[in-house]
Amino acid sequence: MRHIHWKLPKVSVFILVGLMAMVLILGGCGSNGQVSKPAAGVAASAADELAFYNGKTVTFVVATKAGGGYDSYGRLIAPFLQKYLPGSTVIVKNVPGAGHIIGANEIYNAKPDGLTLGTFNKGLIMSQIAGMEGIKFDLNKFNWLGDASTESRVLIVGTKSPYHSIDDLKKASEEIKMATAGVGSASHNDALMLSNIFGFKVKLISGYAGQEADLAMMRGEVVGQVGAFDSMRNMIENKEARALVIIGKEKIPELPDVPLLSDIGPADKKALTELMNSQAWLARPLATTPGIPEGRLKVLREAMKKALTDPELLQKAKQANLPVTYVTPEEVTQTVSTALNQPPEIVKIVTEAVKNAKD
Amino acid sequence: MFEASLQGLAQVFVWPNAGFMLLGATIGMVVGFIPGLGGNFMLAMMIPFVFGMDPYAAFALLLGGHAVVHTGGAISALLFNTPGTGPNAATCFDGYPLVKQGQTGRAMGIAMAASAFGGVFGALLMVFIIPIVRPIIMAFGPPEFFMMVMVGVAALAFLGGNSVAKGLAVGALGLLMSMVGQDPSTGVVRYGFGSLYLWDGINQVLVVIGIFAVSEMLELSQQGGSIADTHGAAKVSGGVLTGIKDVFRHWWLNLRCSAIGGIIGVVPGLGGEAASFLAYGHAVQTSKTPEKFGSGMIEGLIAPESAHNSKEGGALIPTVVFGVPGSSGMAILLGAFLILGLAPGPKLLSEHLPLVFNMAWTVAIANVFGAALGLVLANQMARLTYLRSSIIVPLILMFAVLGAYGTHNSMGDILVVFVFGIVGYYLKKYRYPKAPLIMGLVLGRMAEVNLNMAWDLYGISFMTRPITLVLFVILITTIVYPIIKRMRASRKGGNVHADAV
Repeated sequence: MRHIHWKLPKVSVFILVGLMAMVLILGGCGSNGQVSKPAAGVAASAADELAFYNGKTVTFVVATKAGGGYDSYGRLIAPFLQKYLPGSTVIVKNVPGAGHIIGANEIYNAKPDGLTLGTFNKGLIMSQIAGMEGIKFDLNKFNWLGDASTESRVLIVGTKSPYHSIDDLKKASEEIKMATAGVGSASHNDALMLSNIFGFKVKLISGYAGQEADLAMMRGEVVGQVGAFDSMRNMIENKEARALVIIGKEKIPELPDVPLLSDIGPADKKALTELMNSQAWLARPLATTPGIPEGRLKVLREAMKKALTDPELLQKAKQANLPVTYVTPEEVTQTVSTALNQPPEIVKIVTEAVKNAKD
Repeated sequence: MFEASLQGLAQVFVWPNAGFMLLGATIGMVVGFIPGLGGNFMLAMMIPFVFGMDPYAAFALLLGGHAVVHTGGAISALLFNTPGTGPNAATCFDGYPLVKQGQTGRAMGIAMAASAFGGVFGALLMVFIIPIVRPIIMAFGPPEFFMMVMVGVAALAFLGGNSVAKGLAVGALGLLMSMVGQDPSTGVVRYGFGSLYLWDGINQVLVVIGIFAVSEMLELSQQGGSIADTHGAAKVSGGVLTGIKDVFRHWWLNLRCSAIGGIIGVVPGLGGEAASFLAYGHAVQTSKTPEKFGSGMIEGLIAPESAHNSKEGGALIPTVVFGVPGSSGMAILLGAFLILGLAPGPKLLSEHLPLVFNMAWTVAIANVFGAALGLVLANQMARLTYLRSSIIVPLILMFAVLGAYGTHNSMGDILVVFVFGIVGYYLKKYRYPKAPLIMGLVLGRMAEVNLNMAWDLYGISFMTRPITLVLFVILITTIVYPIIKRMRASRKGGNVHADAV
């Protein structure tokens, strides 16, 4: 019985250690967000606002795990943002989960002091239109800081498939099998919306992680997929795939014969094609919390612009194969609000695309 | 061809390439050892540094590191029961029990030698399979993946020690847990309970840390003493050699598990964890004493270690041959090709064949070097397992909590770890096996996704594809054969295991 007497305190030691570890980590997180400066009632001057960052820690939230594309951009930009916010320390914090929603929630609901900003998937535009659960933000109310890169997306089909144009797809008697990463992913949404725009029959095969879909195309188990041109470039160059249409604002020099969606989309589907184009365009949007002091937002936007146009950053970006194109906050705000402002019939299509349970 | 191979080999040893490979492999071992960091993170960090480098030097650094990440991860799995990388989760199943028996040196010897064996196999596979890779890739799709996973699921029944029912019960719980989160084919969130955290499901690394590391520490803090049984203390260094010999004694299993890992690498579609778990399942199914797995079986440690290192060599093939990366790590590596001005694909093979051979050689040699590095440190590290509980328990718990937090940087991670710490404690107390929980969790997800895809693609006729059919026959055999064996044994008048329920 003596043993039982001894067991209890040891269990509590164990729990204590666990608690201490949690406290340590909580403490570590808390200190990032600490603000010591009392809120001044009067509007501060630009110099004051820049001085505000002296000695502060800015958290750059990346809504994915470490090692992915969003993370690479975050880690590329952070030191240069720090450079243009003198005296500050910019740290990258990975907040992955729920398809970028957790990270976007964190930025949106942070203390509005301009010390939290970050990047997440533009596909959240679709999620918001569809009114997905779990979203605790309004993209219209984010303070946009710009966009670090633009991209075009392409619909590709395997070279062994009998399809050479969108018209071929329309004429097909079979359902066109397209690979997607999963319901709500960009590849899924785009494929469904393209089938709606052009009226070809599509059957989505969901569950291909990363570029497993490329091999599925080569095996011929699916006809094609929609994805960023940069990720598809190799397959096209190696003649494993051909592009049928470009989603985006500009033609792609490497693909002179492939038409733009806005050129071949039917007139009555213009709203949908524009939605697709604009949300494809913003590849790495950057945002901060709504409601931060006006002057501070200006300082942040200025610092972000300087960072993204810094020759040293551009050089580093080139070395890391991360294309950088600075898009102004005004253009991002405009693009997002246009994209979000959709007539009910489009909301219905998008909702079906994002939420649709299997037929 | 032969000449190109020699040219590639020579480039491995040319300065500074050799230095970069050693540097890469050392970084890879450290990154693998630290839970929460992984190969992808390391590659992403290295990429900016390779700009402007000679391709041979660049790949020496990148592949040298990438090849040995799981070798480093095995060390933390063995010593702290906390897998350094996801695929190392299966290393805990039989590795930690060996360490507890005071056979740390031997366990390290086995893990390092099996990793090196698998790594070299993967590199050789890369060279020899290139001419026939297209038909192999063509032959495996979701229907085949589904069947492969089901063969692994069948192993759950053997993992309950002497009780089939206990193995199946825990395995079923694992399968059930795999249903938590957003279903990729319907988008429906299951068992989400309104928590965004649960959308991504329950991460198996957290469950491993919980039911292995945390629960073992809970027990240790109650019992006192040290992790390893002190009787074996004198034999740490001798044990390393025994471990290496064990690996060569089981060369046939090693070869089979390396082949499983290699194939899973060549035909991506099952994810990083599949190789080690399916190899573990295979080792269990082909063992004469499957009931002993989980209690420190040599085979149970060899299988995952050889498989996940072999997988990395295999995974290079689609990247190099088609320019199609099969995993997120390979996608980052593909970025490196572009930075260096090389276009992966058929052209790379015709124009840069020595470089392709060099990559294979680098993977092979880095694997041997990484394992050797692990062995050199083995004796020092093994001493940790003789520390008394009041010192080692807080240390390991800290390690476990940090490793867990690195998964999503979320407090939810730590909660999951402690909840499963308690689950693991009671599983052990009531003599339920732990491994089937993880196996069920990992395999359940793969089985479901691939079944959904197979069904969407082919309907019920997916069952009639030749390889699927062969795998199905294997599946039926592994289930029926032990039953027949048992019936025969009981007919002969022999005792059926008394506690088989």
